[in-house]
Amino acid sequence: MDLKIPSLPKVAIGWRKALTAVGVAALVVAVAFIGWTLFTVYTEERQVAAFGSHVAASEADLARVSGLVASHLGSRPDRLSVAGADASMREFAAIADHGRAVTAYHRGIIGADTVPEAYAGAQSAYIRALDHLNRAFSLWSSAATAYNANACTAAEENLARADQAWGEYALAVGDYDRELRAAEEGGEAPPV
Amino acid sequence: MEWKDVIPVLAGGLVILVVALVVKPALLGEPIGSPGPVPTPVPPVYVPPPPSPTATPYPEDGPASIRTLRWTSIDGGVRTTEVRVPEALFLERRETPRIADRLAWGRYALADADRPVLEDLARRIAPPAANPEEQYFRLMDLVFFVQQIPYVPDNNTDSYIEGVLPRHARQVVGGVEYQKYPVEMLVDGKGDCEDAAILMGGLLDALGYDTVLLGYSDHMALGIRMEGFNPYYAKYTPKYFTYKGKHYYYVEGTAFTRKNLSTTSPVFQGSPFPIGNTQGSPIPSVKSETPQIIPLRSIPTPEDYQIHPVRLPAGGV
Repeated sequence: MDLKIPSLPKVAIGWRKALTAVGVAALVVAVAFIGWTLFTVYTEERQVAAFGSHVAASEADLARVSGLVASHLGSRPDRLSVAGADASMREFAAIADHGRAVTAYHRGIIGADTVPEAYAGAQSAYIRALDHLNRAFSLWSSAATAYNANACTAAEENLARADQAWGEYALAVGDYDRELRAAEEGGEAPPV
Repeated sequence: MEWKDVIPVLAGGLVILVVALVVKPALLGEPIGSPGPVPTPVPPVYVPPPPSPTATPYPEDGPASIRTLRWTSIDGGVRTTEVRVPEALFLERRETPRIADRLAWGRYALADADRPVLEDLARRIAPPAANPEEQYFRLMDLVFFVQQIPYVPDNNTDSYIEGVLPRHARQVVGGVEYQKYPVEMLVDGKGDCEDAAILMGGLLDALGYDTVLLGYSDHMALGIRMEGFNPYYAKYTPKYFTYKGKHYYYVEGTAFTRKNLSTTSPVFQGSPFPIGNTQGSPIPSVKSETPQIIPLRSIPTPEDYQIHPVRLPAGGV
């Protein structure tokens, strides 16, 4: 059987056309690379800005909680009656519950933030700080509940643990500052 | 390469973009175009606690227990006074559950409803004085008054005017525990060491003194805040305990020792325990132990509550 193989037309590309095609391809790759880089930088800047605005909102709310705490504890008279002490502890419990809600709220928002890898340490440290604060406020609340049940020893124990959680919060804030500086300056966070 | 070769590529890209940005969101119900701000939950708002209702005072003209109190004062004379306790208050106290945690026993001494009775009694025993010396004698009169209330342990039914143990008396290892509110001690006219310390703490607090309860393993006394207390007559080194940087001197609430003036006389000569004297105490724990200090006002207060503001990331608001 005779096979008839069709004859293919001869491709004739000149050097000029070939160079043009290569040039266009290189241009497309360069534009894609630059575009991707710009897009990544833009996205990361937006992520950092969102993280920053969430931290700012958290700090503003924490400052208000701090004002409530300082005002409450600073205005406690030395010689309270039993009814006065009970009313004071109810206010303390309300502030503790508010502090717990504020820290849980901002922990949820900041925990959901997507941040560039360089900022992951700062985000993690800030979340840790909020967790410690949340625990401290929870223990304040437990102390107030124990006080209402005339269990002053348990109340004091809860407050001692809250003081410890507060100390851990202060350490986490230090970690956050170090991590943030490292992220902004490049490189790794210096050791404690 | 011709333009006609590029156009299909561009058209394909356009189709992909339209599908990704318009068709898919439309099918899945997502917002078309760039995503808006992610909906966030409502931030928490501080809600202050509601004001507590004001307690209704006990009527002055209602039924009351009136007790005539008699004691030997610091000058050796016998003094008497009357105390009036509304019956409703006394009955309410008997029906109030007792507090197990010793650290909260200051609530007995400072109980709001007992306060008017204590303020009235304290002013009659120790009216305001013109000079510190007089004031000190009046303070001692008040201490002697409490020390002379007969000591009866909690497990003895003689300690209660009803002649039976109150229903909130707690069975504990080694006996019965029933701390008396000040008005209970006054109406019963008897009590044990913690009842005396609580009554004395309430009376001294009503006069403006800063006091604490001193809890030993088998005893309770009072600590009164003084600075540099060292009376000329003392043949002992006054004992004090430091709490939050303040000195509280030991005051015994019971154990008023007394003896007859003569074998034929029914008259007693008092020999009270002065402030700060622990070495003369017949109770071994008072001489050997460091007591638990129980402030009358025990309001839990955190040591640390400072919020540390942090630096915001660059680009933050």
